[in-house]
Amino acid sequence: MLTAKDIMTKDVVTVSGSATVAEAVKLMKDKGLRALIVERRSDRDPYGIVTETDIIYKVAAYGHDPKKMRVYEIMTKPCIVVNADLGVEYVARLFANTGIRRAPVIEGKLLGIISVSDLLSKGNFVEKPNQLFIEDRLEVAREEARTVCAAKGDTSPECAAAWDIVEELQAAASHKRQQQKTTTSLEDYCANNPDARECRIYED
Amino acid sequence: MMEAQEIMTRDVVTVSGSATVAEAVKLMKDKSLRALIVERRGDWDSYGIVTETDIIYKVAAYGHDPKKMRVYEIMTKPCITVNPHLGVEYVARLFANTGIRRAPVIKDKLLGIISVSDILKKSDFVEKPKSNFELYCEENPDALEARIYED
Repeated sequence: MLTAKDIMTKDVVTVSGSATVAEAVKLMKDKGLRALIVERRSDRDPYGIVTETDIIYKVAAYGHDPKKMRVYEIMTKPCIVVNADLGVEYVARLFANTGIRRAPVIEGKLLGIISVSDLLSKGNFVEKPNQLFIEDRLEVAREEARTVCAAKGDTSPECAAAWDIVEELQAAASHKRQQQKTTTSLEDYCANNPDARECRIYED
Repeated sequence: MMEAQEIMTRDVVTVSGSATVAEAVKLMKDKSLRALIVERRGDWDSYGIVTETDIIYKVAAYGHDPKKMRVYEIMTKPCITVNPHLGVEYVARLFANTGIRRAPVIKDKLLGIISVSDILKKSDFVEKPKSNFELYCEENPDALEARIYED
């Protein structure tokens, strides 16, 4: 499964919360960015974000002077952050559920930023659409099939159709499990020690 | 005051409402665009728009197959359009009030597309911020309130 750190933008620029909006705009223009991460004041402080939308909606739309407004007046802090190992499907779902379009990727420290553009241009949802919660859906389909068959009879066409759905989901689920195949301890050991005796492969 | 047509992006690509989402994604990737305008079915029809956010929120987030979904299922149509002569400050206010980030610029026909990025990068709101009162005076130079007394 593709994760956030695989497709994030590693070029990330930070700005101080006390900087003026005009300085933030200049940074964004110079670096061709649509958002800046607001620096933390200490290790206990949350991350913040300021986007081009914040600047247009809250400053330009009201004719406020960007040279007199500060980043802290328009930023989003605390902002939603994404774990580096989160699957891209979950990032998309998180964005859809919270109505955001970009978030910093954090693991211990700031690693990058991930946006809907990254998901669109570098994600693999076109080639490999990945349905989330497939195990849950399988469980529901199984229960439904049992109910239908009990009500309409085991040989009814409704019963057969209900089990067809279960079968389809089962196939998709097992296909997904294969993709996530985990390595055995021996395989791990051999990957690290290819010359060990135990790792020799005998070919005919 | 700068107008929408001065800062809009003239490179605009259209897509048919009946195209698959996969085709729309390919178009966006190839041309590196964040939105496509959905073609009208006739002169009487309204314009539509499909953005990268629509695709991520409504397709990718649910694991739907983009090859089996169509643009008309996720597009915004009718969409808000902007007159080429609208002042950039008003475009910003319109965007803020309606919660949109881009809109096609239309006068008789499709002229371009304007987005928050265009306003940020190309407009003069940093150098020349304009208050509501200033905008009012610019539009109504003869109003009593707009008179300027010079020594």
